[in-house]
Amino acid sequence: MKTAANLTFGEMAIITGINSEHPSARRIIEIGFTPGQQIELINKTAFNDPLAFSVRGALIAIRKNEAESIYVI
Amino acid sequence: MKKDVIQSTPFITLVGPPNSGKTTLFNYISGRNNKTVNYPGSTVEYSMCRINIGKPNEAELLDSPGIISLMPNSPDEQVTVDAIYSHPGLGIPDLVVATVDASQLSRHLLLVKQLLLSGFNVLVAVTMNDILERKGYKLDTHSLEIELGCRVCKVDGRTGSGTIDLIHQAELIINNTIKNYDLKRIEINNDTDTLIDLYKDIEGIEKRVLINSKELERKIKSANKAFNVLNVEKPEKVVNRPDEITIKIDRILLHQYWGLLIFFAAMSLLFTSIFWLAMPAMDLIDQTFGSLAGFVSNNFSNGWLTDFIADGLISGIGSVIIFLPQIIILFLILGLLEDVGYLARGAMLVDRPLSKIGLNGKSFVPMLSGFACAIPAMMAARTIPNKRERLLTIFILPLMSCSARLPVYALLIGFLLPPDKVFMGGIIMAGIYLFGILSSTLIAGLVNKFSNKILSANDSSSFILELPTYKIPKLMVILNNTFNSSLAYLKKAGPAILVFSVLLWVLTYFPNVHPKVDTSGLSEQQSSELIATERIATSYAADLGKIIQPVMTPIGMDWRVGVSLISAFAAREVFVSSLALIFKVTGDNDDALQASLLNAMRKAKIGGTDQKIFTTATVIGLIIFFVFALQCISTIIVSKQETGGWRIPIMQVVTFTSLAYVLTFITVNGLRLFGIA
Ligand SMILES: Nc1nc2c(ncn2[C@@H]2O[C@H](COP(=O)(O)OP(=O)(O)OP(=O)(O)O)[C@@H](O)[C@H]2O)c(=O)[nH]1
Ligand SMILES: [Mg+2]
Repeated sequence: MKTAANLTFGEMAIITGINSEHPSARRIIEIGFTPGQQIELINKTAFNDPLAFSVRGALIAIRKNEAESIYVI
Repeated sequence: MKKDVIQSTPFITLVGPPNSGKTTLFNYISGRNNKTVNYPGSTVEYSMCRINIGKPNEAELLDSPGIISLMPNSPDEQVTVDAIYSHPGLGIPDLVVATVDASQLSRHLLLVKQLLLSGFNVLVAVTMNDILERKGYKLDTHSLEIELGCRVCKVDGRTGSGTIDLIHQAELIINNTIKNYDLKRIEINNDTDTLIDLYKDIEGIEKRVLINSKELERKIKSANKAFNVLNVEKPEKVVNRPDEITIKIDRILLHQYWGLLIFFAAMSLLFTSIFWLAMPAMDLIDQTFGSLAGFVSNNFSNGWLTDFIADGLISGIGSVIIFLPQIIILFLILGLLEDVGYLARGAMLVDRPLSKIGLNGKSFVPMLSGFACAIPAMMAARTIPNKRERLLTIFILPLMSCSARLPVYALLIGFLLPPDKVFMGGIIMAGIYLFGILSSTLIAGLVNKFSNKILSANDSSSFILELPTYKIPKLMVILNNTFNSSLAYLKKAGPAILVFSVLLWVLTYFPNVHPKVDTSGLSEQQSSELIATERIATSYAADLGKIIQPVMTPIGMDWRVGVSLISAFAAREVFVSSLALIFKVTGDNDDALQASLLNAMRKAKIGGTDQKIFTTATVIGLIIFFVFALQCISTIIVSKQETGGWRIPIMQVVTFTSLAYVLTFITVNGLRLFGIA
């Protein structure tokens, strides 16, 4: 399954679901990553972790393993 | 009848997501100067004030730390959320003013919705309308009021616009609605569907209340042209692009490769410029105090009072005031970084490396503010959700070179370098900072590796951080913050310096006020120096000093440095004023203060021998000592408060202070082994 962590620079995708098993799942949703939202990978650091996404008009940095809990198409 | 008083004064809490402008608004309404930072999580402490609302005359206004939702994710958030439902001192709020960033509407309405669901009386304060307008949209306040079922005001806490209306609305609500004593808690469950549904709701609201300015113009134009009624539908896509300028700047500052490089360059510049930029101002203060001390000792009758004022007070205080420009510059640059919005980027850039040693990207902001002072830094560590990472961050914070150490380093660097090498001074200063940072990461790594016992707390590590929109820094905000921080610095250091100057002066001056020495054949200058030296050698301080001499001998110094080191426990800056007091035995020339102190240090010899106290080796040793030693009582107390016990602060004192001594010993003797005296 494709996740937000698989996106390349500037690639846009639509969120299809959040893995609710992930310990940070609730916080990820609360900060704005909900199904149906369009996200875009805006920045990566040199270590490819964390990643910064645009969601709901905000820039949010999350760790790669947290991005892996966001399923996209 | 205390209870009645509390009940009769209405109580308003400011609640809102991090970085939504609560403190800015609070400051404007209250006339306070609490620190505002363009970083999510700048407020960690409650702040309260009385405001004038008309009827009843006054209300309590409470500023709270930002939260994303009413479902807490960490023990600290739990405390914050609990205090919103029922404040420990004030109880249930009569009104909640919820700040909402207009440009983040769909995210920030989540908390408003939850507040309304809980049954709070809510008044929405929409901030950052300027940013929304920059994006080409406008918020229809009236529609939003209908959608939410509560009043909405647009405000800008930086200019104060809209605040009068806000307070008026607050007054109306307080007087015309019944306070809800039976609030319903938002249930914490791991069922994420309710959250997602809530968000769906909000997305609908957002579409209906935001108006595209261009669309609006077109509509008006087409209405003017009459007949043309094609473009009546609202725009499909609502603001879902972050601020364009921010994205452009981040393309450079968060560039995959350049990003980290720029980060390090910015940090090095910060630390080197402290030294360079401050030089002219420092020279000026130095001269002023030097002449002042000279004036006093030349123009007043010779006696202990004159000596006390010239050598004790003026040189003692002056020797520390000299470093105020450096401290102001440090605060200015930190303030600039904070207000622009770079801090969150810094945190993101270093998250990966820091997580390798058991810290978190969110440790960056506490560490950076540790360069100003460890106390607010330890409190800022509350924004780190993972307990273990937070404790480890607090543990190493004393190793960040705080502003109290600046005077010490600057003096010691001044000793090592000829005065015309300011350039080198900046580099050495940056080197010391870097050394402190590297040591702290090393220690963090070691503690992280070997001590599950010391910091046993395991919840999953996470890093979720909003990168705020870049803002053109408000000069007034920065100047204000700088002024307040500098004032706080003076207030903290000032009394300690004063008390210790008096105390030390008494200890070093008495009982042998007029020592009998053979001054025949000596010039006046030489004989007064001889008298002063003899006076100290037979003083009370010397008696005490004999006790610490055995500790000082291994590190190549004598009891006089020891006494200064001990007095530094009151405040680190006191070390400098103590040295000035103990070593600067002549006060009757117009030399600049620092130059004459350095001169005196160069001449000082270990009692009764010909061995110099201050040599390259011992001065480097002293720098090492100050990098490690935990000599600040306030830090120890705050560490206890923030870690919830004495275990960590005691460990900090023991580890860092013994490390300081051992490493100083190794440095001094190691350097001597290599032929560097
Ligand atoms: N452009 C713009 N900036 C604002 C406005 N109000 C506040 N700011 C800025 O937004 C930033 C954050 O403001 P704060 O008042 O510290 O936010 P806060 O809600 O107290 O944040 P936390 O304490 O972190 O929860 C600061 O840099 C303010 O100068 C506004 O109306 N427009
Ligand atoms: Mg605040």
